[in-house]
Amino acid sequence: MNPEILEGFLQASLPMSLMATAAGSLLGLIVGMIPGMTISTGIIIVLPVTFVLDPVISVSLLLGLYVGGMMGGSFAAVLLNIPGTPSASATAIDGYPMSVRGEAGLALGTAIIASFIGGLFSFFCLYFIAPLLAEVALQFRAPDLFSLVFFGLTIICSFAAKSLVKGLLSAVIGLMLVTVGMDPVMGTARFTFGEVNMMGGIHFLTAMIGLFAVPQLIENLISSQAGQSDERAQSRIISLLPNLKQLSRMIKPVSIGSITGAFLGILPGVGGPIAAFISYDYTKKLSKNQQDFGKGCIEGIAAPESANNAVTGGALIPMMTLGIPGDPVTAILIGALMIHGLSPGPLLFMERGDFAYSVIFAFFWANIFNLIIALSALRLLVKLLATPKALLMPSIAILCVVGSYSLRNNFFDVYVMFFFGLLGLAMRWLNMPVVPLLLALVLGGQLEEHLRVALTGSRGDVSIFFTSPVSLLFLILSMVSIIWSFYSARKGKKDG
Amino acid sequence: MSTIKKMLCQFMALLYIIFFAATASAGFPDRAIEFIIPFGAGGGADIEGRLLAKEMSKVLGVPLTPINKPGAGGAITYTYLVNSKPDGYTIGWNSTSVLTTTNLGNTDFDYDAMDHIGRVEYQPQPFVVKADAAWKSFKDFVSDCRNNPNTYKIANSGTGSATHTAAIAVMNAINCQVIHLPKGIKGRNASVLSGEAHAMVAPLTGAVRLAKAGKLRILAVPTSKRNAVIPDVPTMAELGYDAELDLFRGLSVAPGTPQSIKDKLFEAMSKAANSKAFKGLAKKKGFTVDPMGPKAFTAHLRSENTKVKNIFKSAGLYKSK
Repeated sequence: MNPEILEGFLQASLPMSLMATAAGSLLGLIVGMIPGMTISTGIIIVLPVTFVLDPVISVSLLLGLYVGGMMGGSFAAVLLNIPGTPSASATAIDGYPMSVRGEAGLALGTAIIASFIGGLFSFFCLYFIAPLLAEVALQFRAPDLFSLVFFGLTIICSFAAKSLVKGLLSAVIGLMLVTVGMDPVMGTARFTFGEVNMMGGIHFLTAMIGLFAVPQLIENLISSQAGQSDERAQSRIISLLPNLKQLSRMIKPVSIGSITGAFLGILPGVGGPIAAFISYDYTKKLSKNQQDFGKGCIEGIAAPESANNAVTGGALIPMMTLGIPGDPVTAILIGALMIHGLSPGPLLFMERGDFAYSVIFAFFWANIFNLIIALSALRLLVKLLATPKALLMPSIAILCVVGSYSLRNNFFDVYVMFFFGLLGLAMRWLNMPVVPLLLALVLGGQLEEHLRVALTGSRGDVSIFFTSPVSLLFLILSMVSIIWSFYSARKGKKDG
Repeated sequence: MSTIKKMLCQFMALLYIIFFAATASAGFPDRAIEFIIPFGAGGGADIEGRLLAKEMSKVLGVPLTPINKPGAGGAITYTYLVNSKPDGYTIGWNSTSVLTTTNLGNTDFDYDAMDHIGRVEYQPQPFVVKADAAWKSFKDFVSDCRNNPNTYKIANSGTGSATHTAAIAVMNAINCQVIHLPKGIKGRNASVLSGEAHAMVAPLTGAVRLAKAGKLRILAVPTSKRNAVIPDVPTMAELGYDAELDLFRGLSVAPGTPQSIKDKLFEAMSKAANSKAFKGLAKKKGFTVDPMGPKAFTAHLRSENTKVKNIFKSAGLYKSK
């Protein structure tokens, strides 16, 4: 074996490194659970500490936080219907209904196991095929990225199956809201009405907090005033861990999620939310019991959870081999490593192979510790549900305000959050699905940017989207995705 | 219950004492200072700014709290700064963006709406191609580009950003028409490596590592003097072209801040800039620490502002909002 690999493994397995991984994982879990606190925020909090620590220990801490944060985001999504991180949005679709049914323990257990497998899978990708995959991903140009994001948007059709008009309207509202702020290509202001704060655009998480949390809070308030019994507080925790039969149901979604997540993680700037939604959608399409999705089924949790944790290892691949970040967190990680004079990139494996491998093994340990810590914290966290709503709901309301402020330290975002709260309420009254709007908000910016950059490059020639094989492939996949959604929706209607 | 109340009273009393003790001393600074970073967490501005803030707080004896207020190419931070109290407790970590975002028309004021403490560091923005590009020298590119106008794609970090501004300046100087691709900070390097863009203009710190790894080649720097980090790369001035636009960073405060406070801040800024930690970071990343006082910096900003204005006018970007 390459002595550098062994040296890297030993460095990452020192007691201090392992302790840092565990601490990071726990912190990540907490940060991920608080709405409005992203993994990026968590890393920024501990960043000053890493300046004085040994590089390997710093990396262990940061990677622990990265992996733990992904997990924590899902906890909040399942327990409170408020995804702690954007990547956990898809988990809320099936996680929260399970939690309402009193199966929060099972939902979380599924999420933890799926996350672990997804994370481990991406570790092996990172270890074995990192350089190979990085080269492939680097070949993605603007037209290809556009088609990929477009493919991501076609998922809207599956969420709009009940009423296509309402689903598409919801997506269009989202796409329109994305245009507020700076024009991504011309750099000038759009729809800001002279308000400088509008120029920063609408932060996706601000919108998400408003859309998910505010209607939830209002609904709870109404039900408690009406004197309805507090069903969640009384619900029993049926089981904590999935049994063998349930585990076997997870095999397919986890395989889809892990592969999708690891590959999409490698593409710079694509990130967890898209991977989670795509794998959710495909698991649903390939499933025999589609009608269960959205009502709380473990497949609907396993797929996005394995995907969003597989993204973490995937995103480390271009970071380690090319110095190109795959998502905002790896961008910060590059910065953190540079403070120590270790610049990720092609030179790192040549000059400091031992360190490069210690990063890879620190990621391995982060996944192990995340499993242990999440499982041991599970019982405690499920008890959160038993907290009286009179205490829980005001705390969440406060977190919503603090969270939307602290994203960009701008109080204007708090008003934006409340605006989205009202929008979410209106959409609920109109029975309009929120997910298409959310998807449009996540993907709309990238969609526009890649489309316009691609067309700038080709001087307005649209044929580039069909002449590039990668782009063509994703466009064909988009067609398949749309036709499939309609076909299965019709079949579902006939059967029902 | 009563013990809790008692403790609360004691705590309030303590806060009261601390508060009064603080306001009683007249000297600046006697409380934490906000250090506003106009860009998001993890970028160059953030990492360099946070370290400077840490070193400055050692000199001033109060914490400098770094706060990221990203958005609109820095316009949100600069607007916040212009409207802040002129007491020195809000400092902005400016950059070339103070000239670009204002001249794009993202704010209704110019760079001179703030008081400037000084410059801390700068770095050139070189013209970079892929290592296996056919152009071995900048001359090769110039002649090829003149023969094939509107063909080559030059990546930058965003329309109206410092890299885009420098790219326009370089293309104006060599009299060549190209397609500017706003690929963003994350996509810029990748687009050159993938061949989507034929070249890019990037901050030195963003390109130097890939260049040293043999993946990219730096053809020229739009400066008048060679840079110590890349001593072999010819300058635009040497090649006979007039194009110079650095990426600088420095400190600004609200307009009307008392001179004595500005002096104190400048002193702390210089000490922090010359600290071992900050100089170490500069060496690792490849930027140049070169503190400049308020007078020199304001004069520098004035001349650079005219330059940016003219570049934007030539490209139809001036106040294009």
